[in-house]
Parts: sequence; C-alpha cells; structure tokens
Amino acid sequence: MKANSASEAVLRMDTPRQTGSRRKRFWQTRRFKNNLPLWVMFVPVIAFYIIFKYTPMLGLVIAFKNYTFYEGVWGSQWVGMDNFTNLFTQAQSVQIIRNTLVLSILSVLVSFPFPIALAIMLNEVRNKYFKKSVQTLVYLPYFFSWVIVGGLVVTIFAQTGVANVLVEKLFGKPFPFLFEEWSWVSIFLGSGIWKDAGFNAIIYLAALTSIDPSLYEAASMDGAGKWKQIRNITLPGISPTIVIMLILAMGRVMEVGFDHVYVLQNSIVSGISEVISTYIYAIGLQGGQFSLTAALGMFDSLVALTLVLISNAIARRFNKGLW
Amino acid sequence: MQSTKGEKVFYGFNYLLLTLAGILCLLPLLHLASLSLSGKDAVLSGFVTLWPVEFTISSYTMLFEGTPVVRAFGNSLLITLVGVAASMLFTIFAAYPLSRRDFYGRRTLTLAIVFTMLFTGGLIPTYLVVSSLGLVDSYAALWLPALVSTYNMMIMRSFFENIPEELVEAARIDGSGEWRLLAGIILPLSLPVLATIGLFYGVYYWNSFFNVMIYMNSPEKINLTVLIQQMVKSQSVLQELNTMNSQEAVNITPEGIKAAGIMVMVIPMLVVYPLLQRYFVKGVTIGAIKG
Repeated sequence: MKANSASEAVLRMDTPRQTGSRRKRFWQTRRFKNNLPLWVMFVPVIAFYIIFKYTPMLGLVIAFKNYTFYEGVWGSQWVGMDNFTNLFTQAQSVQIIRNTLVLSILSVLVSFPFPIALAIMLNEVRNKYFKKSVQTLVYLPYFFSWVIVGGLVVTIFAQTGVANVLVEKLFGKPFPFLFEEWSWVSIFLGSGIWKDAGFNAIIYLAALTSIDPSLYEAASMDGAGKWKQIRNITLPGISPTIVIMLILAMGRVMEVGFDHVYVLQNSIVSGISEVISTYIYAIGLQGGQFSLTAALGMFDSLVALTLVLISNAIARRFNKGLW
Repeated sequence: MQSTKGEKVFYGFNYLLLTLAGILCLLPLLHLASLSLSGKDAVLSGFVTLWPVEFTISSYTMLFEGTPVVRAFGNSLLITLVGVAASMLFTIFAAYPLSRRDFYGRRTLTLAIVFTMLFTGGLIPTYLVVSSLGLVDSYAALWLPALVSTYNMMIMRSFFENIPEELVEAARIDGSGEWRLLAGIILPLSLPVLATIGLFYGVYYWNSFFNVMIYMNSPEKINLTVLIQQMVKSQSVLQELNTMNSQEAVNITPEGIKAAGIMVMVIPMLVVYPLLQRYFVKGVTIGAIKG
C-alpha cells in the first residue's frame, strides 16, 4: 500500500499543466504517464545490469594488460596479446583447456541417454502411485548442492569407505577409486548422472504426453510389441525434443561446473581434474594472476558464445531456435 | 485389455529397473545417515551399511558442540531469506515493464539483457567489480551480483505477457495506476510462477558455495555448504573440534562427524522437498514451452 501512494504522488507531480497549446507534448501523453512508473521500477534493474554484467565485460581489458593491484584496471600497462600467447604455449594451460573439453564432451555423450530412457520407462508405468514414488525419489538428488553429493561420493569411495569394504571382501585389497584417472572420471560422470538424470527426464515426460494414445492402440491391434511401439512411436514422437536438448547441451560444452569438479578433485588426479574454472580460481583468485586468468576466462566466454550461436543456427533448421 | 506374454516381461523389467533407480537415489543417503548414527568401532571396522550399528548420537552432539554448525546454519538461512526477497522484488521490477507492450525501449532493453546470458565478463572481472565496490566480506557480495537471474526473469516475463490484456485495460479504466495494477491484479494472478521462481532463488541461495568461498573472508560469515565442504576435505577434523566433552569425543570418528555434517544439510532439503518437487516441475515445463 505504501508503494501505491508513493507512486501516485509521483504521478500527480508529473501531471501535465495546462499549456494552452492544443498539440500534446510527449510528456503529456497517456503513454508517457503510463511509462513513468514502469521506468521508476526499471532504473534499479538497469543499474544492476550495467554494474554487474556490462562493467565486468569492460573489465576484460585486463586480459590485454599486465594488471597489478596498485595500478588498477585502467592504470595497468598494455601488453597486447601476451597473455593469450602465454596461455596457448604453456603446457599446463593447454592441458587445462583439453581437460575441460574432455570432461564436458564425455558428460554430454554419456549422460544424455539416461533422462530419455528414464522418461520412456516412467511413461510406460500404469500404476499411478508407483510412478509418483519413483519420480519423487529420482528428482530428489537434483536439489542437493554439489557439496552434499561430493560428500556422499567421497565418503562412499574413500579408501575405508563402504565401496572398498565390498571390494576388499571380493578381491582382497581396496581399490583407489578417487585416485586413478579413469575411475575418477567414471565417478565424475556417474555423480552427474545420479544428480541430474531424474530431473532432466521431466522435459521428456512433458513431450511424451503430447503423443496421441490412439497410435499405440492401432499399433497394438496390428500386433506390434512394446519394443516396436517404443522404437516406432515413442522415440519419433519425442525426437524433436531430443534434438533440441542435444543442441542445447552442445552449446554448453564449455561449462564444466566449478562445484562439481572442486568437491571431487584431489591433487593426485589433477592431470585430468583441473579444468578452466578451477584453474581460474586457484591461479587467478588465490595466486593473484588476474590478467592471465582473465584472458583464459575471455577465451572460455568467446568459445561458449560461438557454440551457442552455432547450436542455435542448427536448431533454427529444426524450427526450434531460441531466437 | 489383456497383456500378452511379451508385454508382461516388458512390464516386469520396467518395474524392476525403475525400482532399482529409485533405490539407487536413496541408498547413499541411508548409508550416510547410518554412519552418522553408528558407534566408533562399527564405523572403523566397516560394519555399517544401511542401518546404524551400535546406535549413538555422539557425532551429532560433537558436531553441534565442537563446530560452528549452528552459526553456519543461521548464516545460510539469512543469506537465503534476504536473497530471495531482494531477488524476487527486482525480478518483478525487471519482468513487469518488459512484459508491457507500451514500455519504451522494450525491445532494445530485452536484447541488451538477453545478451548477458550469452556473453559474460567472467569470474575475474566480476570479482574486481565486487571488490572495488568494497563488498568483499559482506553478504551484499552474494546478493547484489545475483539480484536478477535473467533466466528466471524471462520466465516471469512470459507469464506476465500471457495475462489477458482486457484485465489490464479494465483496471486502467477504473483509474488504477501501474503500481496498483501490478500489486492488485498482475501479482495475484501470477502466484504459481512467483512460487516457482521464489523456490528457484531459494535453492540457489541455500546451495551457494563458490561465491561464499571467494567473497567471505571471515570464518564466522561462512554458510553451511562451505563449512561442511571444509570438514569433508579436512584431514584432521577431530583435532579441529573445539570441545571439552571428552566422554563423547572417544566414541566418534572422522567419517561419523562428516556424515553428520552432510545430514544436517540434507534434512532441511527433505523438509521442503514436497514444495520443491511440485513447483520445480511446473517451472521446468513453463521454461521449456516458452524457451
């Protein structure tokens, strides 16, 4: 109520006075009067986007400078492309870019089918309560922070964890799950599937509801078994959704979430587990190499932008573009 | 309709696999809960699987006495409540004008805002902006840079756009100003989307980890996620406990106390989960149709 009266006061102040001229000035029109309160609302929003979104983009100039704390963003010396040259010639940063690509492409490829399979299976369930219960269970991990998921994983797969108690009983000695590169990558991928597959199935479940049930009846009359029905009706029915989700996933290939890697990584597997975001944190924020890591971040953003633009261009061919 | 034999096999497998998937999501939680409630000898000898052995709540007693978990929980709550309130307010302030067809600059502003979803300055320049504003080590560093999530704002905007124009016109004729229109008509009609986006923000702030880690320097300001992560990574969690209670201390293990810490984060999530499930599913479908 307070906001209401305040705005009315603003409106009253700006009510146009009689000017005598017949043609209304712009600020006397109804559209202007309607717009004024909208702009009052919108000014803080603009300030937010300028300060926290566009200023950092300008701040990317430090990628072309040798930033020091004392000289500041604008006072520091220009170094041209030196930071980028360093990035692409140092073995370490090249490896980090490679790790980022390997982990994210593997994530997309390996985890992509799980939500689709889960959605199709849930869709075939006739018992409403069973379906609800399974959904409730498989959506749950999505809401946990990576700290919880990482804590679960690290506890279970530790040298003395329950997984190794089992392995020891079967094979006589524990296996260093978190300290071998291939098993670390498997755990990284598995934990991603565990956390997100259930929730990502929702979008396919929604797509499945749009398939005409009479198609199944007809197919079943013609003697098509369940497998054939899934292959020839269900999958084609949701294939537009599958295509668009795949394209969107490709657009996000550069995003290996910091939290996901950080909670699982350890120094022994850093050869595969150090990625762009964790490197920027460790070398940039903790190590103070702001210019070098800003350059890496800029490279990351540009690749991501390119990927999104390409994937959208492809999606438009399927009439599913984002814009 | 009569099921054929092939169909029976199919349904049998389907139910079996889905049951397994459901159990797989629950087992790790059960195991951790059991670890947190088991005695020292049972944990160290690896007897604990899915139920507590030598039941004891020592891990929890020690956790609450010897670590700042209560303060961290309070911090998480404060970060979440203020964050959600501020983000909701300014997301509405962004979405409502942009949803109005007669808003000047609507197209240009929408484009400028959507562009920030595609290209960002990245971590280092954002950190420099936040630190040059003097926000480091204050919660404003968590709230202000996350004030409006563009994705959430676009969902809200398309919901507002679908409210029938006639309602807006009718209110206009009755002489309502924009603020009264927003508060009296648009928002009451948008309760489902407001609940959904409020929960999106709630989960974001409650789970926030990275930002708290980089912006909060004082140990007494960290939230639950950062505290628990520090405990899980720590090699000497028992030595770091700050406690006089030596009777309880002999019966705890690093695993037990870490598991108790993780459970303290899991339980609040389980409490609000019914709400989350309902509205998140809605939110995903809204986002998908409009997206």
